[in-house]
Amino acid sequence: MNTDQKALQELLFQLADDDFILAYRGSEWLGLAPHIEEDVAFSSMSQDTMGHAVMFYEMLEELGAGTADDLAQLRKPQDFRNAVLVERPNGTGHYMEQPNYDWAYAVARTYLYELFKWVRLEALMSSSYQPLVQISRKMMTELRYHLMHWQTWTKHLAGGGQESRDRLQAAIAQVCQDIEGLFSFGPHADAIVAAGLIADASTLKARWLEKASDALAKNGLALPDAFPAPSHDGRAGEHTEQLADVLNTLSEVYRLDPAAAW
Amino acid sequence: MSEQAKPNGFDIYEVFSQRTPTSSFVHQFSLLAPNHEVAMSMARENFLRRDSVVNIWVVKRDDIYVCPPEEREFLERLDNKAYRETKGYGDLQSKWRAHRERYEAEHSNNQ
Amino acid sequence: MIAQTHDEKLAAFLEKIDNGGKIEADDWMPDDYRTQLIKLISMHGMSEIMGALPEKEWVPKAPTLRRKLAIMAKVQDEMGHGQLLLRVAEDLMAPLGKTREDMLNDLFTGRLKFHNVFHMEAPTWADAGVIGWLVDGAAIITQTMSLDTSYAPYSRALHRICAEEKFHAQHGESIVLALAEGTEQQRRMLQDAVTRWWPALLMFFGPPEGGKISSNQQMNMRYKIRSQTNEELRQVFFDKYVPRIFHLGLTLPDPTIRYDEAAGQWIYQQPDWDEFKQIVSGHGPRSVQRLDLRKLSYQQAQWVRDALLNNTQQAI
Ligand SMILES: [Fe+2]
Ligand SMILES: [Fe+2]
Repeated sequence: MNTDQKALQELLFQLADDDFILAYRGSEWLGLAPHIEEDVAFSSMSQDTMGHAVMFYEMLEELGAGTADDLAQLRKPQDFRNAVLVERPNGTGHYMEQPNYDWAYAVARTYLYELFKWVRLEALMSSSYQPLVQISRKMMTELRYHLMHWQTWTKHLAGGGQESRDRLQAAIAQVCQDIEGLFSFGPHADAIVAAGLIADASTLKARWLEKASDALAKNGLALPDAFPAPSHDGRAGEHTEQLADVLNTLSEVYRLDPAAAW
Repeated sequence: MSEQAKPNGFDIYEVFSQRTPTSSFVHQFSLLAPNHEVAMSMARENFLRRDSVVNIWVVKRDDIYVCPPEEREFLERLDNKAYRETKGYGDLQSKWRAHRERYEAEHSNNQ
Repeated sequence: MIAQTHDEKLAAFLEKIDNGGKIEADDWMPDDYRTQLIKLISMHGMSEIMGALPEKEWVPKAPTLRRKLAIMAKVQDEMGHGQLLLRVAEDLMAPLGKTREDMLNDLFTGRLKFHNVFHMEAPTWADAGVIGWLVDGAAIITQTMSLDTSYAPYSRALHRICAEEKFHAQHGESIVLALAEGTEQQRRMLQDAVTRWWPALLMFFGPPEGGKISSNQQMNMRYKIRSQTNEELRQVFFDKYVPRIFHLGLTLPDPTIRYDEAAGQWIYQQPDWDEFKQIVSGHGPRSVQRLDLRKLSYQQAQWVRDALLNNTQQAI
């Protein structure tokens, strides 16, 4: 594989894995959201996000990286390229046992991630790799609804009294502990940018900062002044133990017999 | 309706949707929400997951003036209004045909 | 407006429904009609919501990307069915000063029951398939029967629900067929799940009448809320599914089951109806755990609901 091909695959894994793992976290909320109507709406967005991951895995499949299902379910944690932010648990407990999930964190993480995703897709619209240009346009149409939805939640939690506001502000601070990890293209960053696949990470970060600060400022909220260096560089395959749990759950059935038809 | 009457506080919103720019709005169902904005953010996914829509209305149910049950019987009408409908004009086709046939018959005789 | 006595109103109500007329939430209705509807529809609605939990266990674990998406959509639909039905129940209980919150509290205290099938364990992926195929299959039968119910809002909700159930049944069939056509291990998984679910599926339709129809069923039929008895529905289920189970080479844990041509019905072994009572009163294998999940998520989200309400008050 030449450098350009390697760079393309690395980027596709970042795109696919981010969406796949965040959609998994979203699916853990199924049936547990704070309002029944919201439960239904949130699930649509998790489906959209997982749908996007599938589209990226299928692009990898076409490039000969393996089947989409194998890529999603049989790789080891160190082969995943998602940012650590998306693998962080929804709270303590397990989705089937004592899920002490934090809605403020769900709102803050999903919103700030989806704003990043918007910026990243926008940048992909001028990618040198045509399939990425087309796919990004499609995904952005669905993303518009997500952003409207999470903006509404941010507004209501910010304006929902002291407790709610404090919880949201704390959740934003927690998300920002990991935010820097989104703006890494990993060890192949130079090749990715040199191949014209996407604008460089600092450009994305500047655009995101502007969007996210605006979105929060509208609700009297603010981002912290600085973001710590990430505890793990997910783009380099460094992950928390939680990712291993996630992958074990995701592949529990498939691993019984990956050769079988399911 | 006063706040006291609703211990949970959430209001009922009726959801309407429009399939294409030239179609009329159709009522879908209702949901509970604290205000219009939240109602809108949940409306499509609750009732239109498999439909394409170009527009949505959410209307607070309290703002709808409903025809009272005992007055709905007044909505019934006698079936004697054929003059308002096309079915009241069923004889037109055959008349036009007769005129055409007579005309054609006359003209072929003249040749 | 001409004042009517209660008896006159009741007579007009009965005449209306006997002629196929439909009742709306704001129409006059007898108290016991309202009570029966609230009981039936709130139980149906809560069952949809509790029913999301056993399948939800398999949402992240579904074996392929396509299955993961499909089962997520399916469980989402079940929550959506709960939403529709709770809305219908809420409008019925509004004149009594009761709300969704009251229904949830009734669920937590055990006053409001949910279907026996959702108290059961779903230990393998094949259980998720069998739930989609047979539990949804059974639900389609009861829901289709109720489409023509005299209560119009319930009918409207059921029309939406039944349209989605067609997708659920196919989703379930697709999982089951893949397992049935699969490896030895997959077939065994499927057979075990069918064996495990059989008694619960029989119970789903409720006890047979044994000659006498229970007073609730009788009232519901008089009020045209439902049109068929428990046993009639169970027989429809057998008609549709027993042959298919056999066609897949699967067996049932009932060696006596057979279709009696002369009687025109299926002869089968009754499940343990005492166990049924135990299960629906909250003593099933997963009753406590699932109720705890629902309770916990409800309590934890109290601050969110408070925040939403705070907003409303500030906005105006
Ligand atoms: Fe359902
Ligand atoms: Fe279903």
